[in-house]
This record gives sequence, structure tokens and C-alpha cells, in this order.
Amino acid sequence: MDDTTAVARSAISPAPPETVVAGWAVSGRRSTGALTLTDVSPLAKVAVRAGVDGAMSRALDVPFGRISRDVGALDGADAGLLVVGSGPGEWLVLGAPGAQATISERLGRLAERSTPGASADSGELVTVVDLTHGRALMRLTGPAAADLLARECAVDLTDAACPDGSALRTAVAGLATDIVRDDRDGTPSYLLHCERSSGQYLFDALLDAGTDLGVDVDGFTLTDPRGEPRATAHS
Amino acid sequence: MTPPRWRPSAAPSTMSMRLERQPDEVIDRDAPLTFTWNGRTFPAYAGDTIASALAACGVRVFSRSFKYHRPRGLLTASYLDPGCMVQVDDEPNVRGAHRLVEPGMRVSSQDTWPSLEVDVKAANQLVGRFLSAGFYYKTFMGPSRLWPAYEKVLERFAHGGEIPDLESYDRRRHHYDKRHAHPDVLVAGGGPAGMAAALAAAEAGATVLLVEEEHALGGHLRWGGDDVRSALAELRRQIEGTAAIEVLTDSVVLGRYDDNWVSVVQRGLPTVDERLVKARAKTLVVAAGLVERPYVFAGNDVPGVMLSTAVRRLIELHAVSPGRRAVVLRANPDGDAAVAALRRVGVEVVHVEDARRGGDIVRVRGRDRVRGVHLADGRRVACDLVVTATGWTAPVSLLTMAGVVPVYDARAARFRPDTTQLPDNILATGGVVGDGTLDELIAHGEATGRVAATRSAVVGRRWRAASPTAGGQVDSAAEPCEASPPALPVDPHPELFRARTHGIVDFSEDVSSSDLVTAVAEGYASAELAKRYTTATMGPVQGKLETVNVVAIVAEATGRSIQQTGTTTWRPPYAPVTLGALAGPEREPVRRSPLQAWHEQHGATPLVAGAWVRPDHYGDPAAEVRAVRDGVGLIDVTPIGKLELHGPDVPRLLNLVYVNRWSKLAIGRVRYGVMCAEDGVVLDDGVTARLAEHSYLMTTTSSGAATVWEWLESWLQTEHPEWQVHVTAVTTAYASINVAGPRSRELVRRVVPDVDLDPEAFPYMHVRTGSIAGVADCVLWRIGFTGELSYELHVPAGYGLHVWESLMAAGSDLGVRAFGVEAQRILRLEKGHLIVGQDTDGLTRAGSAGLDGLVKLDKEDFAGRPELVWQDRVADPPRLVALRTSDPTVVPVEGSQIVTDGSHIRGRITSSRMSPTLGRSVVLAQLDAPLADAGSKVTIAMVDGRRASAVVTEGLAQVDPEGERLHG
Repeated sequence: MDDTTAVARSAISPAPPETVVAGWAVSGRRSTGALTLTDVSPLAKVAVRAGVDGAMSRALDVPFGRISRDVGALDGADAGLLVVGSGPGEWLVLGAPGAQATISERLGRLAERSTPGASADSGELVTVVDLTHGRALMRLTGPAAADLLARECAVDLTDAACPDGSALRTAVAGLATDIVRDDRDGTPSYLLHCERSSGQYLFDALLDAGTDLGVDVDGFTLTDPRGEPRATAHS
Repeated sequence: MTPPRWRPSAAPSTMSMRLERQPDEVIDRDAPLTFTWNGRTFPAYAGDTIASALAACGVRVFSRSFKYHRPRGLLTASYLDPGCMVQVDDEPNVRGAHRLVEPGMRVSSQDTWPSLEVDVKAANQLVGRFLSAGFYYKTFMGPSRLWPAYEKVLERFAHGGEIPDLESYDRRRHHYDKRHAHPDVLVAGGGPAGMAAALAAAEAGATVLLVEEEHALGGHLRWGGDDVRSALAELRRQIEGTAAIEVLTDSVVLGRYDDNWVSVVQRGLPTVDERLVKARAKTLVVAAGLVERPYVFAGNDVPGVMLSTAVRRLIELHAVSPGRRAVVLRANPDGDAAVAALRRVGVEVVHVEDARRGGDIVRVRGRDRVRGVHLADGRRVACDLVVTATGWTAPVSLLTMAGVVPVYDARAARFRPDTTQLPDNILATGGVVGDGTLDELIAHGEATGRVAATRSAVVGRRWRAASPTAGGQVDSAAEPCEASPPALPVDPHPELFRARTHGIVDFSEDVSSSDLVTAVAEGYASAELAKRYTTATMGPVQGKLETVNVVAIVAEATGRSIQQTGTTTWRPPYAPVTLGALAGPEREPVRRSPLQAWHEQHGATPLVAGAWVRPDHYGDPAAEVRAVRDGVGLIDVTPIGKLELHGPDVPRLLNLVYVNRWSKLAIGRVRYGVMCAEDGVVLDDGVTARLAEHSYLMTTTSSGAATVWEWLESWLQTEHPEWQVHVTAVTTAYASINVAGPRSRELVRRVVPDVDLDPEAFPYMHVRTGSIAGVADCVLWRIGFTGELSYELHVPAGYGLHVWESLMAAGSDLGVRAFGVEAQRILRLEKGHLIVGQDTDGLTRAGSAGLDGLVKLDKEDFAGRPELVWQDRVADPPRLVALRTSDPTVVPVEGSQIVTDGSHIRGRITSSRMSPTLGRSVVLAQLDAPLADAGSKVTIAMVDGRRASAVVTEGLAQVDPEGERLHG
């Protein structure tokens, strides 16, 4: 069967009009609102597990609780990679739609280089898992983003406690969620990342909680108005 | 004919008691409006409370009391007023002296019949001697057979408003939400000290949440007149211009919990009825001010008896004259100020009784309004308003919630908090801790705010140092805690609690001072016991007005001092809270498969299984079963748990958590395994495939996915951290589709071009990877829960719908049909496959689940082994068996008991269905071992009382016991 017929679908139903971007059915809606919520699930998501203080950790050089867009060890994997220190000895690498294979392969080579001759007995165990289809990912952007999240999240997400570049795992609307503070051109912006099956629930909960704050759905685009990575390949 | 007094009139009343414009009034005379009260239309101005609007029109009775249904009027004219709880539209128990009136609002009195003016339930006063203290414990106790009748009567007298029934409740109109806040400093109380504290804290660099119960900041300055007007305006101006201060008015701090978790209910928001604010404050400043205390004397609850602060609120804020002829009992400067205010607006102050010089009031005359007063010296004075200014109560609730025990100060005639007991993250300022001039209060507030900011900065640095998100750049060195400001002085005040007559102490609960004396006489001699016996302090006011009087009267009755008697205990909530505010918005995570939209479009009946929404069936589960047995069917099994295991030590882990052997599982093979807990009880089951040298994919039951993940991590993290294994949950990374039926191979082959599906190349219990319908990176298993030839396809979830639709399209000529959970359950039951949690319970060890052959007691230690060894050697546990009922049409309800000797329970039915394949019932049961041999006859006690006979079959499978279809 011709693979061009396969369109990937996010867990979150696209707000009309629906369109296809990089092989994913996404919302083509454009919002000019000050507070927007965008389903960015098409982005590549690759999880990495390795030792807390091991060679892979040193190579990535992104501590738990922080993020980086400038991980030299991954140069060449993709432009605009975002590496999240999502847990002790745990990272999530986000990239352009379709880049998961490249990212995984680059991480695999990095693991080989970091722990040459890694074996069952002596080497550091590094695990790379493509979670592109296993997680829902959304981006909340706007000056009132923290106010909206405060409706559903008990953690202090204001600048003092959660500055740009922070990453944490907590509950949002009662759901286990990874939060990444990743501002866009000086505007507060948060990536929220949860199990795919509850993506629609979380998306709806945020829209409901932010009604009085004017939250609006914005569609997914590769034109990079917010600095999202561009597609590199069709998955 | 004269209409009944309670018949509503369409004619609007006039604002006969409305005063001319007052300098500090909060009403907007340019915004008139109307609302209804008990069906009559009344005028009001924006800014009026319900009570002030009614009082402006001459209304003096707002409610009937809790027990005796005595008429009640305004007492405090504030949030705490117990006399005007009203119903607003479909919202009961609204504080009428606080809630702002709105155009078109429908307000009514509560629990009165036929009307507020003529309330038949006031007959309770005639039987008052039966409703004395503790009558709850003395009456309606017997005979017990009459309790249902008592209950019906008591229900009729239950106080409070009416909640709408579910049908008429407009969910769209009511909305409650929540919000979390993390201020450096939370100031509870927006009076002068609280405002000053907030400003000083903000100036010192803190973020501040300033919470005020009333609709505007200012506290007592709001009605303080010329002397304080400019000071209030300046404080408000500064706060408005300070971005670091967030002000919540019309908001009540409900409680202070560990580590300064402070709950606040916020009202007056445009889009929600109420919002529960959960604040984690680094420091809490309590600036709750003082609450004026009522005086206890005969008739002190007659409408027209008010506190001095109520009078001043009515006059200064709402431009309402509280009466026409007033008698004032005063013992402090605020009483003097009330006299001056009354005289200023033209109320005739016919007598001032000064308690500082020994004056006292004995009794008020009148039933539904004040008609006069008896003074202690025997004089009688006609009036329609009695004002008391006899003392203050420090609302120490938030401080006592932090462990502070208040101490009675006889000189000030009030309990005061011992601030030396306060933890470092709590400070107090203003009236709650002492007295002073306005300048002194502001200065104390400022000093307190500065200390609060300093302490919060220390806490903040400590928190940030411990937070990974801060990047580890924060100095976490221990810092000393700055000392609290010196305490405020206290002004002397005469001790005035009760006159020589008895009166109402708790206006909410209708508890009198004589009730308390009776309680003491009956042995309830401590304040805590008297409280519970009489219910004093347990009403909506929660002790703010009455606690000190309760203590003083109990002390008087017992002969102890007030300090010896002590207070009752203040606990959260500070004020009653609605269930809506506590519940907040509906947030219950839901899990959906990538195929859920297809299921909905094709008429699936949803089944909620845990958080998952699954298709139970598509209209005809029996037909779905037949489709699978005869042709091919598809079921969405996405919820089954999937864990990716990676590392060289995975076999060791599998050997540890499964009861069977895993060391020799070859790449490309799949094996069924059962997990037991340490007690040998079956925890979960599933199949695990070896995809590569160090890569495995484990499946679990749908409901057990999280448990198994935690189970694996628990062993890895706590018992074997040296093992090299990583576990990644990938349940929702795949859409999982089971293609089952004799024609499943034929169907799968049409969409899987690059995997050899021949039985020899891809036999039962094997795994392959490849592309399905053009989608790469799919995993294909040959397993069969249904007992049919089947393939379980795990597809990258985003392509799940594409693959499902491709299968449906490719199999249309094969009669492919979707089947749901119900059909799957029937199919597996026909085959005799157990479901963990359905055919096992919290006591079922592996041997009782028909898994004896699977358990390898001779292998290295594994979870549950000691218990299973014991069971194998010593016990003769129940067994899982299949039953065949004598009457094939009988389908015993799951849970039905298997009995001998009439009623001796020997087992239970765990699963039962009518089999479309066999045309008879199929049943699994847990059965005592002596009865579990094939051929044993058993009796099933049906839920309708009948008995059904059945026989134990050979093996569990009723369809294809040889497994030919499965292995085909």
C-alpha cells in the first residue's frame, strides 16, 4: 500500500479548518489572540534514558529541570532541536515533524561514542525510544499563560520559580504532565507533554480553564512564526 | 376583602429610610435598579447589599431564627450578620448583609411558611421547653420504630434554603473553578494594618496577595468619617499603584494549613460563582482586625437591636437610617462614634446608657420590632432601635490553626493571641493583636510587612536552591529569621458579656445563655462540651460573634475564670464554604484510543474501563462473536499496557517478576507470563516478546498497566539497582488492533506485504516487525485471547485510524466486522481464558487460577515463590473451573454463590455468559478443591433465590479445547 496515503493524526482533534502538514492532520486555524493553545503533537519526540552522571549525561549536558536548544553533541541531527532534562537520567529531545528517526539514529551514535564498546557487563546502558506517537504535545503562549496554568497546576510557574528554560513533571488538571518553559520572543510560553490517550482531555481542560482569559486555539504551522522547528522529512 | 398579609404586591416600595448623600457612601445613585423580595419589587442602588436595600425601604425582618423561628433583623450589617441569610434565585444561604444586590435578583426568606411575617413554625416558641439545650439528645429517641416518622417531621423543620433539584439546576449558569497562587506574602485582612503590611512587603520586593472579606479595602476606616478619609484614600491609591500587590476583595481566607497552605474563596468574579484559591504563601500576615461582640440580654435578638458598627455601616456606607428613635448602650469610643453618627443623620438618640459608668440594659420590649427598652435602673424608654457597643473579639482563627492558644486579657476584655508562639512563617498585625491610633496601626503594619518580606525572601531562596528548574545558582546558606515587630498596646475595656437577664448567645443556632447554664448544670461544664451539647458556635457565623460570650457564660456558671475556661477550638473553614467551591470544575482525566472517533461514528456503546473509554459493542455482541468464529473481526485493544524493556538484564527481571521461565526466550518469540505479588496472589498477566538482543515488549492487562510499571520500577530501583534495565511505558505509543478469526491471516496478508505470514514462517506465539498498510515500525504478534487464529497489530498511534480503516476496507469482501469488549469477553470465556481481577480476586494465588502448570517452583527465587511453595505443599486451595449448567439457558449472575447443604458457601461464579457459539451458557467459577474435579456436581444459589445445578467440566475451554483454531 502506498505510504503517501497514510496521514498521521494527533490525539487532539484539529480545530477546523483541518489541513495536512508534514503528513499530519492538523488545524489550519490562525489566531491573533493574546493567549493561544496549539497542538504541536506532530513534533518528533525521542526519549533518552542513561546514567545520571554517565557519559551520555555529560555529552548532552542538559541538567534535570532545564532545557537547551544548543546541544553541540547533537549537531547535524536537525535544526532547532530542543533537549529537555525531564528527569534524573532522563531526557526528551524534540525536533521537527519527521525527524524522529534521524534524532534516534544520532542519539544512538552518540551513545556509541560516549560509551565505546558498551556491553552487557561494562558499558553504560543508554535507551533511546521514539515517543512521537506516544505523547501529546501542546504549546500555550501568551502573557497570561502562567495565570491559566495556575488554574490547573499547583506548582509555581511564575518567573521566579520557573524561569524560561525550566522543565518539570507535575499534575495538570489531575493528569501527569511534563511542563517546559520555552518562551517565544520574550512572550511566556509553555510546552505541555502528556500521554497521548489523555491529550484531548488536557487540551479541553486548558481551553475550559482559560475561557475568561480569552485562550484561543491556534493551528499548527511550519512557517515558524513562533520559532517552531521546520519539517525535515515525511515520516 | 382584605388580602392575606403575605400576598405579594406588585407595587414597588419606596426608600423611606434612605438618607441624603453621605460622604463615604458606596452606593451609586446614578445606577438605580429593582429586585424582588418575597415576590415584591423593591428599588435599590448599585452598591447596595440585599440587606441595605431592604433596610432602606423599611424592612426590618429578614429571617426567622433556627429553632424558635423568632423574627430576626440586622445585627452586624456585615459578612458575619446571622440575621439575614436569604435565598437568591436557586442559591440558598446567601449572606444578605454582604451580597450585593443585582438587577432582577429574586430574593426570598428561607424556611418560613406561609410567609416571613406570619411563620407558622414560630409555634416552636410555644413548645420551647422541649427544645432546650441538647434536645437533640433527649427527644425523638424512641421508640425506634417511629424514627421514620420523626425524620419526616424533622426534615420539615430543617433550617436553610432550598437547593434546586437536578432537573432544574442550570449547570450553565453556575460555574466554580480553582486557582493556585504562590505569593511571597499573603495578607489576610484589608484594613489599615493589612494594607500597610502589604505595601511595605511589596516595597521590600515581595509579591503580595491581599485578601479582604468586604467588597472594598479599608476595614473600619470605611465608615470612620472625616478623620480617616484621606488616610484611607492614600492607602488605596498606593495599593492600586503597586503592581506587586494583587487584591482579592469579597474573598474569605478559609484556613491555614501546614507550610502556609492557605485556602481562599473568592466571589464577585464576572465568569464564575466562586473560585477556590489555593495559596502557598511563604509568609502569612494575619490582619483580621476586631469583630464587635454582641451583648447578651433579654430580647437582644429582636429586630432593631444592632451593634454600633452595624449602625455606622448602614449610615456611612449605604446611607440608610437604622431607625428613628435610638437607645445606645456604649462602653467604648466606637459607641460614642455611633451616637454621633446617629445624631448627625437626624436619628433621635433618646437615651445613652454608658456602661463605663455602670449603666446597663435589662430587656428589650417587642416581638417583631423593638418597641422599647428596660434599663438597669428601672426606667423604660420607648424606641425602635437599640445599639450596643460593649466589646470586641479578636478573630484569632487563622492563628489558632497554626497552633496558637489565645490568652484571655481581662484588662482588654478579650482573648488575644500569644504571638511569641507563632511559627516563623506567620505574623500578625492590627486589631487582632492590639490597639492603637491609626498611625500606630499603620506603623505596626508596615513593620510587620517588612519582616514578612524578609522572611519570605529567605524561604524563597531555600526553595529555589532545592529546585532543579532554578539551575542550581541560588545560595542556600541558612539565614537568621528577622524578629517580629514589638507588640501593639491594648486599650482597657470593661468586661461586658451578659446583663442580669438571659438572652441569645448564638444567633445562628438559637442558643441562649440559659441553654448554656442548663448544659453546665447537666454536667457539660467545659466550653468544648457545652458547645457540642448546645451547638453554640457551630452555625454559619462559626463563633466569630459568640465564642467569647459562650466562654464567659460557662465560666460564670461553673465559677471558674474565663482564662481557666478557655476557648473552643477554631478549625478550618473560617466560614462555611459551598460544595461547588470545594469541588471546582469537573476534572477527571479520560483516556481515548486513536480509534475512538471511529467507534463513535459506528454506533459503539461506550464502556468506561478505568480512565479508558472503550467500545463495549456495536449493537449486537452475539453477532460480533459469530463474525469472529466464522470469519474475521477487529477489536481495538489499545488500552492493554505496553512496556518497552531494554537492557542486558531484562531476562533476570522477567524471571523475577513472572512465575515461569524466561532465560531462553529467543528473539522473535512471545511467551505468556503471570505475575504474583509477594503473597503469591495473582497480580497481572500478559505476553512478552523478544524483539532484539536486549529489547523486549511486555504487555499487561489494561487495568494493570500502571501497577505493573510501578512493580517493575520498584524491583529495579529498590532491590536491583545494579541491573541494567530501562523500562519505558509505550502503551499509547501504539494503536493496538487484534485481528481475530479463521480468515484473519487472509486479511492481514492483504495489508502486510513484507512479512511472511505462513504458519510455518510465523507460527503461534511469535512476533514480527514490519509495515502495515504502508506504516512502518509496526509490531505483529501471533497470539489469541479469543481462541481463534489471530494477529495483534501494534501500530504507531498516529496511524492507528489509517491502519484500522485499511483493514476494514481490505476485508470488506471477507465480512470483516468490528467487535467490542463484550464480544471479546464472550469469546475468551468460551475458550476458558481467565481475566485477572475478574476470575481472580485479592486472595487468588496462582494455583487457584488454573496456572499450576505455569509456575516453576524449581527456578531461582521469584516474587511470590515462598507463598506458592507453601500453597503447593500444604494448602488445598480453591480452583478455577468451568461449569456446565444442567439447564443450558441458565446464566448465573457473576458473583452467584456455589453452595452445599443448602447454604454452605463453597465457591462463586466469576464469569458467565450465554455462548452464541455453543447455544448454552459458559461459566467459570472459583470452587473449593474437593468439589473441583471434573464431573463434580454443584449447586448454584441464584440471586432470585432459585437453585441451579451444574457440573464441573474437563478443562476450562468449551470451544476448541485442543487449540486447533488458535494454532492454525
